[in-house]
Amino acid sequence: MKTAIIIFLAALAASMPALADEAAATAGPSDERSALDAEVQGLRREVVDLNRDLFMLEEDLLFPASTQVAVFVSMDVGTFFALDSVQLKVDDKEVSNYLYTDREQDALKRGGVQRLWLGNLKAGEHEVTAFFTGKGPHERDYKRGTTLKVEKGVGAKYVELKISDKVSQLQPEFVVRVWE
Amino acid sequence: MLARLLILAALAPAALAAPVVEQDAIPGLPAVKVQDLHYGDVLFYFYQQDHFDALVRLAAYRDQGRLAEHARDADLLRGGLYLSLGQHREAREIFERLLSDAATPQDVRNQAWFWLGKVLYAAGLYEDSDHALRQAAGTLPEDMEAERHLLIAQGLLYRQRYEQAIAELSAWQGPRYWLAYGQFNLGVALVRAGETERGLALLDAVGQLETKYPELMALRDKANLAIGYAHLQGGEPAAARLALERVRLNGPLSSKALLGAGWADVAAQQYQAALVPFGELQGRNLLDAAVQESYLAVPYAYGQLGAMRQAVQYYEKAITAYDSERSRIGESIDAIRAGHLLDAAMMAGDDGREGWFAQLSTLPDSPESRYLYHLLAGNEFQEGLKNYRALDDMANNLATWQQSLGAFDDMVVTRQEAFEQKLPAADARLATVDVATINGRRDALQAEFEAAVATRDIFALATDTEHEQLRLLDEVDAELAKHAGDAGYDDAREKARLARGVLTWKLDAAWRVRSWQTSRALRELNATVYDARTRETASGTARMGAPERNAALGRRVDRMSPRVAELALRVERAKEAQGRRLADIAVRELEDQRKRLDEYAVQARYALATIYDRAADMPAKPPGAMP
Repeated sequence: MKTAIIIFLAALAASMPALADEAAATAGPSDERSALDAEVQGLRREVVDLNRDLFMLEEDLLFPASTQVAVFVSMDVGTFFALDSVQLKVDDKEVSNYLYTDREQDALKRGGVQRLWLGNLKAGEHEVTAFFTGKGPHERDYKRGTTLKVEKGVGAKYVELKISDKVSQLQPEFVVRVWE
Repeated sequence: MLARLLILAALAPAALAAPVVEQDAIPGLPAVKVQDLHYGDVLFYFYQQDHFDALVRLAAYRDQGRLAEHARDADLLRGGLYLSLGQHREAREIFERLLSDAATPQDVRNQAWFWLGKVLYAAGLYEDSDHALRQAAGTLPEDMEAERHLLIAQGLLYRQRYEQAIAELSAWQGPRYWLAYGQFNLGVALVRAGETERGLALLDAVGQLETKYPELMALRDKANLAIGYAHLQGGEPAAARLALERVRLNGPLSSKALLGAGWADVAAQQYQAALVPFGELQGRNLLDAAVQESYLAVPYAYGQLGAMRQAVQYYEKAITAYDSERSRIGESIDAIRAGHLLDAAMMAGDDGREGWFAQLSTLPDSPESRYLYHLLAGNEFQEGLKNYRALDDMANNLATWQQSLGAFDDMVVTRQEAFEQKLPAADARLATVDVATINGRRDALQAEFEAAVATRDIFALATDTEHEQLRLLDEVDAELAKHAGDAGYDDAREKARLARGVLTWKLDAAWRVRSWQTSRALRELNATVYDARTRETASGTARMGAPERNAALGRRVDRMSPRVAELALRVERAKEAQGRRLADIAVRELEDQRKRLDEYAVQARYALATIYDRAADMPAKPPGAMP
């Protein structure tokens, strides 16, 4: 028994360093690790900055403000509505047909706003049509649509399609808001 | 003393059991009513835990001036995002800047103090973290407030100020989820402060927690394991077994729990019962220390039962297993030195968020991947692999941009060529439109109308037919004038007078309607002419500015290309260095394991030799007499 206990203690003690290391690693990392960590941190910062610059360059190049139009989707509905898809047409041409994952639905419900479509339109009047489908309480299917005329001027134009609870009937519907 | 050390060792993870700062960096971000669509877009990525994209968009939109309504929220979020990506320095700078700005509102200051406390805690600066977290007291959301308390207490535990940690946690009543962590840490603090009984009672409560949260299940396992070993060392095997049986069989601590349960049975002299958990361990990965131990524990239990034949068989089985595992470790070390380990690690699917660690356990049993799961249990390797994966993501990101920049370059050239081709036709079309003349005519019409209104000139708004009728009446009047004094024309004169009177009356009656219609038509004309002038100006500006804009975009693309290429090179070098470091850690770890297996094999051989010696010393018996 004594031998076994000694073996057991030795084994247990040997199995613990991983846990002890955990604390040690948090408290005092080695120089080599610190240097590499610092390098990774520095590189990541540079990559973030570079991505920011490239993101802006891409937008300036592909979607200049003079022709830029963006359509955003947001939600202001109760917990029991699940958004399945949004279809978007501009001047009767389908530009987006988006299916939502659970993660994206959750992000929208928590207040996130999705930039569904970013495109270019000439100055003048355009027709934007959108449909959404989803499921409400008791697995009830919903499909709602909306159409609006958008006057595209010289600057960028933003359209927000908010899926909101209709107060009178507790049903989801589109509320459209145009931002300059 | 040894027993106490073991209890403390078993409790070592306790201080780290509470929230993992890196992963859960921003759980309590307060709800924000979005007032800038682009801020909402950032949140859309943030809420999906896509922190890199959220950070890039946040930085871009901020520079584009699209977050004016959320400037301070954006700063808090940016700091939190940097923290979640492990960029402590940037996070700290942002929170300190917010705090040094006297205009920062109090609620934002509170949150900034909280985040700063987290940054300092993650950096191991517990004293400073404590100071910052205590500044944050006030109006924090419930989750943040709970986390603040826990971080303060954990900082005290790290600094071995157990009494203060006990005081901090005893007085605290947080939400149930956080309370479990608090209770656990309080139990740890009490054990470390020498109040073992009180501490174990608290840990026991955590060990019996009913929960659906995986994190709390893991916490419950840790508590039960710690209690089990503490009772085992305290000579209370029954109590030890009770706690150890509560550890989940499919959890990461199950092997240690099974081993403890077996030894609890041994301590209670229940050798037959001990064979059950020890036997269960033998089907598991031999790299686990508990499993290695079980290979010696099984023959030991058989020995205690007097079943020497089985004891010999199992000691021999242990020696074979240790030798075979040593050889497999050798293969793995060779594969790792050849650089195959990281290929295997990167093959394990990764959606960038969660779940990939679990997938490692399902990798094929090849020399390069066999021990990945085990290696990842080590914090140093895990952190190193996290960095390696981050560098790999960066390399992929930069490679994608390198391709895009090539396309951007082509686009700028094509756009310039298209512009030059379309220019003559556009100029010709523009030349046919004389907006200035139209504008002049509009001005003349406006003046004419205003004059008519000023004098109430009803004839000015007559229709073409009415003008024709007036012209005819003028001709009739002229003809009649030639026969002035001739009574034979009196009847005709009277009719002409009546006709003019009727026409004048009609024009007068129609005046109000016509003047209103004309006024409206002129307003519409004004708007149309204004649009035409605006478009003409815009066309002119575009025509003049397009080559310049294209050239500016071309220069921006040209400047980016070397920047991306240079950064990609540095990322690649860092990735290689990180890879070498990971291989070193892995080889070192596996060599330690091999050494330990050597020691076990020696112990097994020694035990075997002892049995044989005893058998040799016993009086000779007929073959098969050994029980």
